[in-house]
Amino acid sequence: MAEAKILEPDVGFVKEVVGLGGETLKKCFQCATCSVACKISPENKPYPRKEMIAASWGLKDQLVNNADIWLCHNCGDCTTLCPRGAAPGDVLGAVRAYAISEYATPKVMGKMVNDPKSLPLLLGIPAVLILVVGLLFNIVGLDWLNFNPVGDQLWGDDYIANYMVDIIMVPTFFAAIGVFALGLKRFIGDMHANALADGKTAKATIDPRGFVQALIKVAPTIMKHNQFSDCGENKERATAHMMVLFGFIALFIVTGCFFFAEWVLHIDGPYRQINPVKWLGNVGGIALIIGTGLMIANRMKKTDQLSSYKDWYLLGLVMGLGVTGMLTEMIRLGGMYDLMAVIYYVHLILVWALFAYTPYSKLAHLVYRTAAMAYNEYAERK
Amino acid sequence: MDKKYGVYICKGCGIGESLDIEALGDVAKEEGLGVKTHDILCGKDGIDLLKKEIADGVNALSICACSRRVMFDVFRFDGCIVDRVNLREGVAWSHPRSEFPALTEEEKEDEDKFDRVQMMAEDYLKMSMARLEKVDLPEPFKLDSLSNKILIIGGGVAGLTAAEDIAKAGYEVTLVEKEDALGGKAATWRKQLPLEDPYETLIAPMVQDKIQAVESNARITVKTNTVVARIAGQPGDFTVTLKKPGEKIEFDVPFPLPDEMKVDEKGKELDVEKLHEKYLEYNEGRQDILQTDPNGEKYGAVVLAAGWRPDEPVAEELAHLGFGTIEDVITNTKFEEIAAAGKIVRPSDGKAAQSVVFIQSPGKGDDDADFDYAGSVTSLVALKQAKYVREDYTDGKAYVFYQHMRTPGLNENFYKSAQQDPGIFMTKGDVISVAKNGGGLVVEADNTLLGEKVQVKADMVVLGTGMVPVTKDEPVVNLAYRQGPAFRDNALFDEYADSNFICFPYETQRTGIYACGAVRRSMTVEETIEDAAGAALKAIQAIESSSRGIAVHPRSGDMTYPDFFFQRCTQCKRCTEECPFGALDDDEKGTPKPNPTRCRRCGTCMGACPERIIGFADYNIDSIGSQVKAIGVPSEDDYDEPPLRILGLVCENDAYPALDILAMNKLSYSADVRLIPVRCLGSVNVIWIKDALSQGMDGVFLLGCKHGDDYQCHFVKGSELAEIRMKKIGDALASLALEEERVAQFQIAIDEYDKAPEIINKFVEEVEELGPNPFKGF
Repeated sequence: MAEAKILEPDVGFVKEVVGLGGETLKKCFQCATCSVACKISPENKPYPRKEMIAASWGLKDQLVNNADIWLCHNCGDCTTLCPRGAAPGDVLGAVRAYAISEYATPKVMGKMVNDPKSLPLLLGIPAVLILVVGLLFNIVGLDWLNFNPVGDQLWGDDYIANYMVDIIMVPTFFAAIGVFALGLKRFIGDMHANALADGKTAKATIDPRGFVQALIKVAPTIMKHNQFSDCGENKERATAHMMVLFGFIALFIVTGCFFFAEWVLHIDGPYRQINPVKWLGNVGGIALIIGTGLMIANRMKKTDQLSSYKDWYLLGLVMGLGVTGMLTEMIRLGGMYDLMAVIYYVHLILVWALFAYTPYSKLAHLVYRTAAMAYNEYAERK
Repeated sequence: MDKKYGVYICKGCGIGESLDIEALGDVAKEEGLGVKTHDILCGKDGIDLLKKEIADGVNALSICACSRRVMFDVFRFDGCIVDRVNLREGVAWSHPRSEFPALTEEEKEDEDKFDRVQMMAEDYLKMSMARLEKVDLPEPFKLDSLSNKILIIGGGVAGLTAAEDIAKAGYEVTLVEKEDALGGKAATWRKQLPLEDPYETLIAPMVQDKIQAVESNARITVKTNTVVARIAGQPGDFTVTLKKPGEKIEFDVPFPLPDEMKVDEKGKELDVEKLHEKYLEYNEGRQDILQTDPNGEKYGAVVLAAGWRPDEPVAEELAHLGFGTIEDVITNTKFEEIAAAGKIVRPSDGKAAQSVVFIQSPGKGDDDADFDYAGSVTSLVALKQAKYVREDYTDGKAYVFYQHMRTPGLNENFYKSAQQDPGIFMTKGDVISVAKNGGGLVVEADNTLLGEKVQVKADMVVLGTGMVPVTKDEPVVNLAYRQGPAFRDNALFDEYADSNFICFPYETQRTGIYACGAVRRSMTVEETIEDAAGAALKAIQAIESSSRGIAVHPRSGDMTYPDFFFQRCTQCKRCTEECPFGALDDDEKGTPKPNPTRCRRCGTCMGACPERIIGFADYNIDSIGSQVKAIGVPSEDDYDEPPLRILGLVCENDAYPALDILAMNKLSYSADVRLIPVRCLGSVNVIWIKDALSQGMDGVFLLGCKHGDDYQCHFVKGSELAEIRMKKIGDALASLALEEERVAQFQIAIDEYDKAPEIINKFVEEVEELGPNPFKGF
């Protein structure tokens, strides 16, 4: 038999998970109804019953680095069936939120993103940043921030130059990638150590090639949302999530195309409405709005499942992105240029927030969950 | 009384369809008795008929209708002897014509054919008529003097509450407490478990309020630093001698001789005189139980609220937990003392104990037993004390390792509130060891919910040891009863003052002594308060029943009591010794002295008496014996193939109702048995069995309650005593050249009605195999 494990409960961890939407976690009395309901529970390691007691005992080290918490897509079956109202699905969500802030540096950012009181500050940063950078450019003679452009057909670029937007956004984007990279490195290492300690894998080390192969193998699963379709309670979420995910992908492609057009081909916008890239952008934007709308409606409907600030933050951000983006376009076509400029400004603020805060927000799941799923594929979880 | 008999046959509920009512009536008519039939005897019309008959002078009624267990109030007529013939459940319903066909007209002509069911009904009517002839209306036993005062032993929450409740009901109370101050254990705690909704937060101990209420109550006399030297007499008329703890006085209760002193050197039992001599020697300086203390105080009933003491575990048995060797491994009682004194600190060095492990089960993994005398209270106390740790230290951690977490009723909310605390950690698991680890301790557990082997670091370890009833250590009540000063056979209840596992709370094995609180079962303050009210009411009931001359329990309201024909008593002392309630005190010659208000009217004395000199007005050797003799036993002179006749003596508390339920559920049993309900199998006198067999009946069975460790006998020992007597009857049968197998005893619980047909039919078959009784026809 293995050596006895010394447990060192962390009361602070319990309190934090509670604060992140896991306030029900201490209600668990270990009946394991959740493990019976859960489709991803292994035969002999009741999941998420084990995770629930680890959480209520404040055993941080057994949770944040545990790949299993990412396998959960919060289908909600366990939460609905729980006889004590302990909502294991929500607790795992809260643990994931904790894990995200644990792996993202600096940690203070994670705290702020999950704290509603910091929201004005977080949105204030890009708002000021855009103005300050614009004014700096103005000082050096580049008219990249223009409060009063003239012309018959104006667009965002006339108020806030695209070059300036890119100069701000691109480094932010790569900074976020950097933060993710650092986090992921630690995360994958910890995940493996945890799996080894718990006897969940037979692989001794992580072979990068095998890992990438595993990643490729799980990609279709992620794209097709197979895990969601298996869900009982929250089945309808698959459509909404798919719309948002593909909306983002579409918009990412569109942004890339126009970035290329602008910087490489030097073709200035606004592009014509018959441009197929533009179509893709419009479809993506609409998908984003509808998908987010469905998610919000779902959450409002499911009163038995908890929705915390971290959820509303992300939904609000994405909805805001979609709405301001589409409005900017529509108002421009309608010819109300000053109003358009204001909304475009808001849109840019949100885009920046999306880039900069993703490693600290719930959206980071796109990285960690993907990594965990790839790892599980690679490690042949048992 | 001059009896005027009347027989009334109801035809309702299927009786009329099943039986030949006219032929049945003829049975009574042959005896010269008036017979009336009615379609629905329990209806207004039927009752009016009965009332008219009574007005016309009938005072001994045989009502042939349903079971005595139903319509008992409808067919109760004051001043009349009523016997109920159970035609409905006992005959018609339990012997449906589909299984036991009536004779066809053709068969009726044939003299060798008989109708078993009709025979059964006719026998039951004959038995009823025989009984009516032999029983009398009871007259209540009246005490010469009656005290309305109630004595309460113990001044903790239980005693204080009982005192308040009894005073509220208008009775005088004396409360004795052996310590200098009232309050008991509850006065020593830091906090107390919640008493009301939402049952989530600890409250300040409330025992001081109770003490004040009791001390300021004019009806309550408080005597601290006082214990009971003896309680003599009987309910309604107890004479109590009180004394200071530790004092030796002449009215200290004498103890019966231990078994080893009852024999001589050769192991032979001493004769009565020698025994008495030895007894006096053994109790030198103490007055005999029959000697009344002239200065004694009079009480009508006693509430025993003497409470508990903390269990003291044997250190060697708990060596793996470091108990006795590691100073910081303590019991929950010790922990409570520390908590009550201030912040929780370690006994070893007085340093803050910020991490405390509460162990509920010492099992080591060998078994999942909790500590001795532990239960829901110890579970709740662990939660309470875990909260103390959290109260005292913001970063405090309290761990609870348990095998059973028992938080009954709304205490579930308390469990939830403890669970909700971020610093309280609970898991089921086997605690393997507690060891020193640097400056602290480390607790190792196996098979926990967190994994196979885990360890936690602790500053202190608290063991969830149990609450021992004080009756385990000493009699406390010190009864001046011949059977001894303590409750007898209390080991059956782990020494708790109790008398039945399922029914009859507050009842001890001594009438007039009612237990409440932790002396009866480990319980919380909340439970104790409710329990005390129950015992208080029982004590009042005992006094009121004694004053009316009726039984308190379980035959509440029964006015009969055992009557002794002392001229024929041989001083065998069997009645004194076998009475489950110590109702009899024999004198130096061994002649029993009855104490009717101690009696529960089970009739165990009647069953025990070899001289058959004990009986009740409506239930005696002759009344049952005559019923046995009234049963027709057909022989070959009557029929070519005469049916068997088997007597069943059935306990009326559980077995008889089970047979009624059987009938209601459309089950059936052999029509060759004749059943007589008895008060308790303990009251069965072997003479009835001998009578039955010598008149040619083929077998006799006793059907009664389960006995043994989890007995269900209403009178504690009745069915067990019956079994002992039945074993002894074997020799007597052998001398009659009868097989032992013709007499048997079966156990049945009230809910096992479905098993009764098999039990009865199997016995009938076995007797059939033995063949008919050779005495038949003599």
